[in-house]
Amino acid sequence: MQVFLQTFIGGMSLGAIYALVALGFSLVFRTMGLVNFSHGNVVMIGAYLASTFYLSTKLPFALAMALAIGGTGLIGVIIERVLRPLENKDFDLMLIGTIGFGIVLEAVAIIIWGATGNAVPNPVPTGPLEVLGLRIRTYDLVVLAIATAAAVLLVFFLQSTKRGAAMQAVAMDHEAATAVGIHVGRSNAIAFMLGAGLAALAGGLVGPLLYVNPTMGGALGIKGFAAAILGGFGSIPGAIVGGFAIGVLDAFTAGHFQGYSELVTFLVFTVVIMIRPTGIFGERTVNRA
Amino acid sequence: MFSSLRRRAAVMLLGLALPVALAACSAPGGDQGDSNKTDGPIKIALVDAQSGQLSSLGAWELKGARLAIDEWNAAGGINGRQIELGVFDDQGDPTVGTNLARKIASEGYIAMIGTAESAVTIAMAPILRESKIPNITSGQSPGLVAVKSPFLFLNGPTSVTYDETLAKYIVDTKGLKNIAMITNNGGYGKGEHDAFTKSLQARGVKPIEDQVVTADQKDFSAALTTIRQKNPQVIFIGAEEVQSGLIVKQARDLGITVPFAGAAPQGTPVFADTAGTANVEGTIVSSPYLSNEVSEASKKFAAAYKAKFNEDAEMHGAKAYDGTQILLNALKTSNVATGQALADAIRATKYAGLLGDFAFDDTGVGIFATRIGTIQGGKLVAAG
Repeated sequence: MQVFLQTFIGGMSLGAIYALVALGFSLVFRTMGLVNFSHGNVVMIGAYLASTFYLSTKLPFALAMALAIGGTGLIGVIIERVLRPLENKDFDLMLIGTIGFGIVLEAVAIIIWGATGNAVPNPVPTGPLEVLGLRIRTYDLVVLAIATAAAVLLVFFLQSTKRGAAMQAVAMDHEAATAVGIHVGRSNAIAFMLGAGLAALAGGLVGPLLYVNPTMGGALGIKGFAAAILGGFGSIPGAIVGGFAIGVLDAFTAGHFQGYSELVTFLVFTVVIMIRPTGIFGERTVNRA
Repeated sequence: MFSSLRRRAAVMLLGLALPVALAACSAPGGDQGDSNKTDGPIKIALVDAQSGQLSSLGAWELKGARLAIDEWNAAGGINGRQIELGVFDDQGDPTVGTNLARKIASEGYIAMIGTAESAVTIAMAPILRESKIPNITSGQSPGLVAVKSPFLFLNGPTSVTYDETLAKYIVDTKGLKNIAMITNNGGYGKGEHDAFTKSLQARGVKPIEDQVVTADQKDFSAALTTIRQKNPQVIFIGAEEVQSGLIVKQARDLGITVPFAGAAPQGTPVFADTAGTANVEGTIVSSPYLSNEVSEASKKFAAAYKAKFNEDAEMHGAKAYDGTQILLNALKTSNVATGQALADAIRATKYAGLLGDFAFDDTGVGIFATRIGTIQGGKLVAAG
């Protein structure tokens, strides 16, 4: 029982990170119908920016995170701006464009920070809490709290602000949205910026849990993408549930199948997707193919 | 509509494959040239991970090899010919490695330094053997010996030596019998797992817990909680630097206080940084190169290393330096031979290196001893 609960807790912490990555994927997809393949690399850039500000300039962790989110948000805007001429014309080229940006971001990271990477010390110095024989890292609680707050803020923005409503309208029908005076390009830019900001949040938070290096985006990107698909691609609650599901699933398969855990995780994922091709929440807001 | 969807799926697939393909072709290399030339620079390839999670190994190895080659070049090269080092990035990926093996063969490199990853070296070995290119690797998996290539040499001991020394210290010297193991299922981790289990078996000790993780796993809660419940006296780790660091960090968070034990990766600064300096205190390390202070030669090497790269030398750089020195000595004694003759010359080379006295046997292993150190106050010191 103790192993079961401890495994669950371990899975939740990485699950929160996957959920944040999945949110970024889903946000851009529901707004533009585009899979942003550079998303994992933006996570990596976010992790580097946050850790650099935190370690080199000795800024408080929260401030370093805020700067990283701002920096990657800017990268998101730039990516959207470059791809904008293709919007609603050629999605294949846009997809390849995002892959290209991913490769560029990785190369830039190697040029700036080198290929080796660095470890980030835990910004929350207090030791783990002990509850009924279970050990809960205080930093995990911070990660969970921040991820929850980010998800709530995002839902609030989409549901209750004018700009958010405009983005929802673009997601449903971009021509009708244009007809009522919504700037589709700006709406897309905001989606990309928020997506990149979420990526930086995920990257910054995962830094102290893992090891920051230029290729860390690959594994996080794939798990986050799988989480978004599992929850229902384009669905905001789906991304959150999918993220935690992948994190916890991963933790349990690691415990039971040891060396074959990765295989089992993706087998389960495949079976779920075969049974429910639209994912858990089954929402499909856009289909512009 | 339907065909367009399908087209998109095809593009997505292409998209996933593209970075891999691009990366595979984009390895930096030296210029084209013919093999068997008797003038112009002597071309030696260094193949290692220069990117990815194992790139610190590649960076250290490059520095060690570069230092040795620059020393020889400064002294006039070999037979008046300069030595040229071509650097290739295998990304720690065996598939990329096999492509690079063909590439260095076609570009006229006569010998190869690297790789530091056993799995990649094992994948490259058949092609290098076919092309008759001698290879001095920094890998230590017993699997390297098992491929039985006469062109493959190790610049250090194998896991068998590391783990036999470690088991001897833990079981015989310290009398610890409750030992738990956590290893990954990659080339290195598998080798460590098998070698350490065998050494324990020979002493009649059975590990009380044997957890296997995947090579890119990040969360070890399940494995570590299971280990904690068994109350071991010491935990053996068989995983690379970063993963070992993550395991130790998470173990301390889960309330595991007993020391960890392992081979070379546990003696590196990357391991200590990833885990946190306080968390690695007391770690037992089996290594052929405990510190830069062990001998006059190592002090000289460490000073030159520091002067050139402005960082402290460590074991992997020292291993690569030894390996490269052996290759260059063999090239000198054989009058820049290639192929089989060069392999024979390497096998015949007796070299007093930083790790000890090298004398190669038929398996390509030249050194059969490691020493035990423990991490104290953030530094690796010899265990008394």
